[in-house]
Amino acid sequence: MSTKASRTAARLMISPAVLLLLGWMIVPLAMTLYFSFLRYNLLMPGMESWAGFENYRYFFTDPAFWPAMRNTLVLVGGVLMITTIGGILVALLLDQPFWGQNIVRLLVLAPFFVMPTVSALVWKNMFMNPVNGIFAYLARVLGLQPYDFLTQAPLASIIGIVSWQWLPFASLILLTALQSLNSEQMEAAEMDGAGPLSRFWFITLPHLARAITVVILIQTIFLLSIFAEILVTTNGGPGTASTNLTFLVYMQSLLQFDVGLGSAGGVVAIILANIVAIFLMRMIGKNLDA
Amino acid sequence: MGRIMLENVTKRFGDVEVIPPLDLDINDGEFVVFVGPSGCGKSTLLRLIAGLEDTSGGRILIDGKDATDLAPAKRGLAMVFQSYALYPHMSVRKNIAFPMRMAGIPQDEQNRRIEAAAKALNLTAYLDRRPGQLSGGQRQRVAIGRAIVREPSAFLFDEPLSNLDAALRVGMRLEISELHNRLKTTMVYVTHDQVEAMTMADKIVVLQAGRIEQVGSPMELYKAPKNLFVAGFIGSPKMNLLTGAVAAQHGAATIGVRPEHIHVSPTGGAWKGRVGVSEHLGSDTFFYVEDTGLAETITVRAGGDLELYHGDTVWLTPDPARIHRFDDQGLRIA
Repeated sequence: MSTKASRTAARLMISPAVLLLLGWMIVPLAMTLYFSFLRYNLLMPGMESWAGFENYRYFFTDPAFWPAMRNTLVLVGGVLMITTIGGILVALLLDQPFWGQNIVRLLVLAPFFVMPTVSALVWKNMFMNPVNGIFAYLARVLGLQPYDFLTQAPLASIIGIVSWQWLPFASLILLTALQSLNSEQMEAAEMDGAGPLSRFWFITLPHLARAITVVILIQTIFLLSIFAEILVTTNGGPGTASTNLTFLVYMQSLLQFDVGLGSAGGVVAIILANIVAIFLMRMIGKNLDA
Repeated sequence: MGRIMLENVTKRFGDVEVIPPLDLDINDGEFVVFVGPSGCGKSTLLRLIAGLEDTSGGRILIDGKDATDLAPAKRGLAMVFQSYALYPHMSVRKNIAFPMRMAGIPQDEQNRRIEAAAKALNLTAYLDRRPGQLSGGQRQRVAIGRAIVREPSAFLFDEPLSNLDAALRVGMRLEISELHNRLKTTMVYVTHDQVEAMTMADKIVVLQAGRIEQVGSPMELYKAPKNLFVAGFIGSPKMNLLTGAVAAQHGAATIGVRPEHIHVSPTGGAWKGRVGVSEHLGSDTFFYVEDTGLAETITVRAGGDLELYHGDTVWLTPDPARIHRFDDQGLRIA
């Protein structure tokens, strides 16, 4: 049913939803852009004045800016690396037939259902705490000095926590991709003399390429805006050691009440996200073509 | 060389015995077809030979050497799968090269064999395409090409034509037969289609529930089926099997007469009946004759010129020399 009339009707029917979504997106974006050019501090309400690129200049010259930029990229890259490689390994394990398969699959998925704030708190207080944490206890059992994860390796610790949350997602998507692999293909490769490693490299991995791309793209979107885990565990510190761009925007607009500076940071974050997206699509987007 | 011997080979999945102890001898250069209804264990048997399934008992000898516990790749066999099982992300060239690459054959030798296989299979123009861009018949040829370049001692085919349409199937049937004539390599071919079995095989193995019902050349099976199952399975349309008084007249529990061995006449003969469905093919006509009082329908083949239609009365006369007799165990009475 693709007559001219039906297509016009379809456009008419869709347009309210499209317009609503557009407004929903455009209005906040326009306001953010507008605020980013204002001298607008909540401590001095009603005193807004045009600031030009002042806010951007302050944001870029903020001593926390470049560390935040680097931390954002390290955080995203680190978590992506751990979850895709780990996800492939977990998916390969879960794809093996074993007793209690369904329950194990459910358990593996569980971390994804835990709220980020809760899981970060659990990690902070029950695992990584240098006095009460399990890791500290294990270290003492072995006669070692307990390691204060969140102070001595704050960014790495957060990468660990976030990876733990996202590993199930990657594993699940990759598992479903693995299950769609034609078993005759694997058998053909076996007959062709390919060992287990060759089969993984030449058959399984290319088959997973599309799923890996999806995992990387979706995770990147969410990882660029990691916030709760940082707020709950390190508050961006010590110093700026675990401040990412999102957290920096939060500090400036809500801790320093500087809406203008925060908005400028928000715009910078949008631009960074787009740059990352362009690079990702260039690198792996071709996998999505059928 | 490709002589395959199965000695007491057994396969069980859990408690279910899919293949009871079975002996079979496949000679070098033979084209052997495993045929049987679905679920009869013919694919399992092929996979046992390939090494994709472990045997539960017995021995598999390939060229006299015990291969029972050998890995699939080490048996020197090549297999063509029902779904072709091509590697979708590799070009045709790379697909064909894959087994040689795994075996570490030098690049120029690889290229030589790829060119030769592509030429033999009419694939030269498609070498740089991906499997997804090929038609079913071309994919099938790529799968065969991938098998050829390994220069195996025997080819295993697992229902390779069942995904093709009828016209292509006939064409590929010829190509595979020609390939066998040219290479003179042992081929083991699994199918549920008795026409494929009859046309291609040097030796047919009829299987039912994992048991071998009969082994023999196509004509042996056609002329002297050992039991009722083979009689009903080989030949198209199926043999008419009659029981009761008419069988007792011939001193048997069941008699079988093939449709082509019954003479049809509109005027007179041994058995009277009425034409149910008639299929006029031009060269032949098949009548499904009802109300004979012998069986629900009797299928007969007549020449294409016989003008009889639904409801007409006909007389059927079986060729007495070609009546097959079976005892109450379903076994052939010689």
